[in-house]
Amino acid sequence: MNGKNSVISSRVEALYRDYGKRAKELKDEGKTLIGYVCSFVPVEMISAAGCIPFRIRGDINEPVTKGDTVLETIVCPFIRSCFDLALKGKYDFLSGIVIPHGCDSMTRSYSTWSYSLDLPYAYFLNIPSVVKPASFEFFAEEIKTYKKTLEAFIGHEITEADISQAIKLHNAYRNKIRTIYDFRKSDPPMVSGVEISKILTVGTSLPVEEANALLDEIIEELKTRSEPPLKTGKRILVDGACVDHAGLVKLIEESGASVVAETTCNGMRDTFPLTDEQEDPFTGLARRYLDKINCPKTYRENRAGSFEGNIADRFGDIGRYAEHFHADGAILYVYKYCDPFGFEVPARKAYYNAIDLPLLWIEDLYSSGTMGQIKTRIQAFLEMIEQ
Amino acid sequence: MKCVMGIDMGSFRVKGVLWCQGSESVTFECPSGGDFEATARRAQKELLLISGRSANEIVGVLSTGYGSKSVMFADETRSDIACQCIGVHALFPSARTVIDVGDLHSKVFSLDENGAPLKFLLSGNCAGGSGRVLQIIAKVMNMKVEEIGEVSLKSKKPVDFSTGCVVFAESEAVSRLAEGVPKEDLLAGIHRALSSQINSLAERLGIEEDVVLVGGGARNPGLVKTLREVMGRDILVPEGPHMTAAYGAALLAGSLYNFKEM
Amino acid sequence: MAEQKKKHKKRRTATRAAASIGPMVKEFIAGTVRAQREGAQKLAYSFIVCHHEEILRAMDVLPIWTENFAGVCGAKRDAERFLQRAESLGFSRSLCTYALCGLGFDHWREELGEMPPDAPWGGQARPDFMISTGQILCDPRAKWYQAAQQYMPDVPIYNIDLPYPLYHPDRDHREELPYYHKYIVEELKGLIAFVEEQTGKKMDYERLWERVRLSDKTWNLIEATYDLRSAIPCPMGTGDAMNTMVPINFMMATQDAYDFFLNLKQELEEKIKKKEGVVENEKYRLLWGGGLPSWFALGDFNYFNSKGAVFPAETTYRMVAPIAEMNIPKTDDPVEHLAWRWLGYWTFWYDKARQRKGGEPDVERLINYIERYKIDGVVMHEAFSCRTWHVGLIWQLHQLAKIYKPIPVLRLGKDGNKTQAWRENPSLVLESDIIDITSYSEVDTRNKIDAFIDTLESVAKSRVD
Repeated sequence: MNGKNSVISSRVEALYRDYGKRAKELKDEGKTLIGYVCSFVPVEMISAAGCIPFRIRGDINEPVTKGDTVLETIVCPFIRSCFDLALKGKYDFLSGIVIPHGCDSMTRSYSTWSYSLDLPYAYFLNIPSVVKPASFEFFAEEIKTYKKTLEAFIGHEITEADISQAIKLHNAYRNKIRTIYDFRKSDPPMVSGVEISKILTVGTSLPVEEANALLDEIIEELKTRSEPPLKTGKRILVDGACVDHAGLVKLIEESGASVVAETTCNGMRDTFPLTDEQEDPFTGLARRYLDKINCPKTYRENRAGSFEGNIADRFGDIGRYAEHFHADGAILYVYKYCDPFGFEVPARKAYYNAIDLPLLWIEDLYSSGTMGQIKTRIQAFLEMIEQ
Repeated sequence: MKCVMGIDMGSFRVKGVLWCQGSESVTFECPSGGDFEATARRAQKELLLISGRSANEIVGVLSTGYGSKSVMFADETRSDIACQCIGVHALFPSARTVIDVGDLHSKVFSLDENGAPLKFLLSGNCAGGSGRVLQIIAKVMNMKVEEIGEVSLKSKKPVDFSTGCVVFAESEAVSRLAEGVPKEDLLAGIHRALSSQINSLAERLGIEEDVVLVGGGARNPGLVKTLREVMGRDILVPEGPHMTAAYGAALLAGSLYNFKEM
Repeated sequence: MAEQKKKHKKRRTATRAAASIGPMVKEFIAGTVRAQREGAQKLAYSFIVCHHEEILRAMDVLPIWTENFAGVCGAKRDAERFLQRAESLGFSRSLCTYALCGLGFDHWREELGEMPPDAPWGGQARPDFMISTGQILCDPRAKWYQAAQQYMPDVPIYNIDLPYPLYHPDRDHREELPYYHKYIVEELKGLIAFVEEQTGKKMDYERLWERVRLSDKTWNLIEATYDLRSAIPCPMGTGDAMNTMVPINFMMATQDAYDFFLNLKQELEEKIKKKEGVVENEKYRLLWGGGLPSWFALGDFNYFNSKGAVFPAETTYRMVAPIAEMNIPKTDDPVEHLAWRWLGYWTFWYDKARQRKGGEPDVERLINYIERYKIDGVVMHEAFSCRTWHVGLIWQLHQLAKIYKPIPVLRLGKDGNKTQAWRENPSLVLESDIIDITSYSEVDTRNKIDAFIDTLESVAKSRVD
């Protein structure tokens, strides 16, 4: 089943290797593609507009060159790589771009992106950095402005029915991802971390209907899979920012472990929360993106009044995922120059300590060139938790 | 007889030019060592020895380069960009963009038809885009930095380096060597990576032809070749490309001290 | 490190006013430590440029400007030990070094239960509460105090969100301002409620209005004062302005800040009358066009001066704009006024930018200053640890060079004829950090400055007007 006819090893693999291949075809068919970075962009609105949301990805094998001519090297290496690829024409099929207030590296480079790429549509989406009743109200208004600019771009109205329909489709996508995650619960997991990494990456490069159809096929394939792809090993949770390549997970799994969960920006942090379909769509989207996506960028009031209580509130979802997927250890993978995650490292370490989950903290660039060094550290970590 | 001297006190090597009225200029270079002041004096002494001139014939000394302020016997100090422009302009009046690959930094600058500097950029504080990366890789391979360019030319399949960071390039090279990647492919890869970084810097500045490559890096045939490929244009390289700043310094000293003829 | 400390001498300023700042900062850092001991006033860790000073001052809360203290550690070349401590706690050295320095210091103070040994200027007092602010300006400001709570779990935080709409060339931001304004008003009211709870006092809105009017008046006075720097020769440079940023950013809404600028204005007027410039023989007028300074290397401004270069203007820390030009709607509510002023400040250059092809607010501000202050070249500083102020600078210089070429020159064509052409202002980007001295090389920096002066000279020579 893992052979030639496998969806995962053929179609997913092909789409992963030639990222944007399908997008190019769609563009040639006359479709409009809108690129975005970060988990904070309500992609539902792009789908509702009849356009295709396309998650811009970096490339760890491609040295940043052209990007350096206009963007500082102190920008987070992931965003730098994304920008470099965009500038090199890798995403020329895009007609627009949405950059959210995800972090300073995004906010401060917005002008650089929008002027350098000079696309017909560009929008900076403001996201509150706190979660209060007034923030939801503000954010719902901001989503309305975002909708208005999309309407002006496509030349027609986006109805509430369009948005509700898109919300359903994207929720369906997230539910299917969850179903795929269920195959990880067994020991050894019936789907590898490398496979999931690729599926997650590929999923956000397709029109949501196509992605859903692909996920259905993957689920069918997994249901009939008889042999686990990996041997039994330690079960690892990967925590951190956007890891949109299989390189890191591959290192971990090649070292004899299995990645069973990833609380990363393109992993469970983004794919698990659903939009409430009963609510008014603007409120529903505002709630999903502002409150349910648990990103360090969003400040949550310390209601517990103690440090221990506060970290349990802030990172509790990680612990629940770790338990649900029976993780034996975690790797906190943070990029250099990433202020939102960087300032949380000691608190996260304290949290992992509190839930008694062994942790390896790695600070890295976004580059395959560093993988050799990391591999040694990962192997040492795995040896440590074996004992 | 009147003589002037130009000293380019680089962080890696010191370069000196002694130029006396009516005769060919003489040159001297040696590693900078730890003590810039003493090295500069040594260069001065050697230049006099080679040329057979005496100290009192020297009417002006102009220093330039990283350690220019350590040349205590200099009468004047100018930036290396100013001196490079003069030196390069004298050799190639058509030069409009100069790339200087040095030990600590790579520099790109543009000059006008009179050889005056208009703008410049330096590679970043970390040594990623400078000649230092070649020295580090040479060390990893247990080779002399002077040899690696020649060896890299033999490569048919340059390795891709994914990071510009020297620290990581070093470890990447170590692990590739362990994997059994041929030396020449590794070297060609690092030359290519460096060339890409230099090209980015030049593109950030804005490239106008003719482009001239100088500095110690320009003595490396591997770098010259890959830089031509990456930039997709012809690049002029003077003879003794590492001497152009010292040469420009001597020329500038000549004009400051009313020196007419060479 | 010790040697660097010893060598570090007091920097020469051009104005008496700037020279008076050092003791002032020292006094208010000492003042917060005193206040904490006496316990009469509540102390709040605070960030600058939040338009909340009026609220704090009206409620007798004493702000502790944590960025200021980190800057002081940097200027005294004594940040390294706090940075190292933060690093040992698990904070990466690539993060904002202000925050790292503050966190390292706080951790040390909390561990000892008293000030760390030889704390710069007596050290930073323990706060009663902390006021964070994410804005859309600076991630570390949203994370710093949250991280500090690990070492001070009993100190509560209020985080004010203060967004503003980003610039889009083809859209009028005014359409979005109402919901921004509404949100900011709620946020500031939330802050008032929080401070009321912490201090047990009610806000006196008449007092708040007084404070707001005082800062508005000070904003206008600062504009008028700084405009005097357009005089030739220039009477005050950016080196001094990195001192006079103190009353702008740390003392706003106090009579002292207003009086300070009255004095400075008078001093500058006298200097202009006497034609007394920062440098004797002024050759080049430069704009500090972006980036926070290296606090440990402010002497570099004097080095520029020694080359005949002076900085009549800077965009950094000039966090005011003429109030009258903001068209702030009339309101009876001081909080509403503060919120409008916040939005007015951040969108100040939007309309002007829209009028120029390829315009962008930050670039527009550069162009405006270049013209107003008769600028020859632009200098920026890229501090590696701060993305907030240092991302987008290269692009801004690019765009500036593309859309604004004010220098007339003759260019030799291929046919051998000379034709009139226009050239952009030369620019220089220095690289280091705000307080991490390990990122700094004096030799390198000064070599770069020398080369820049040489370019300024040759560009000046090629001018044909």
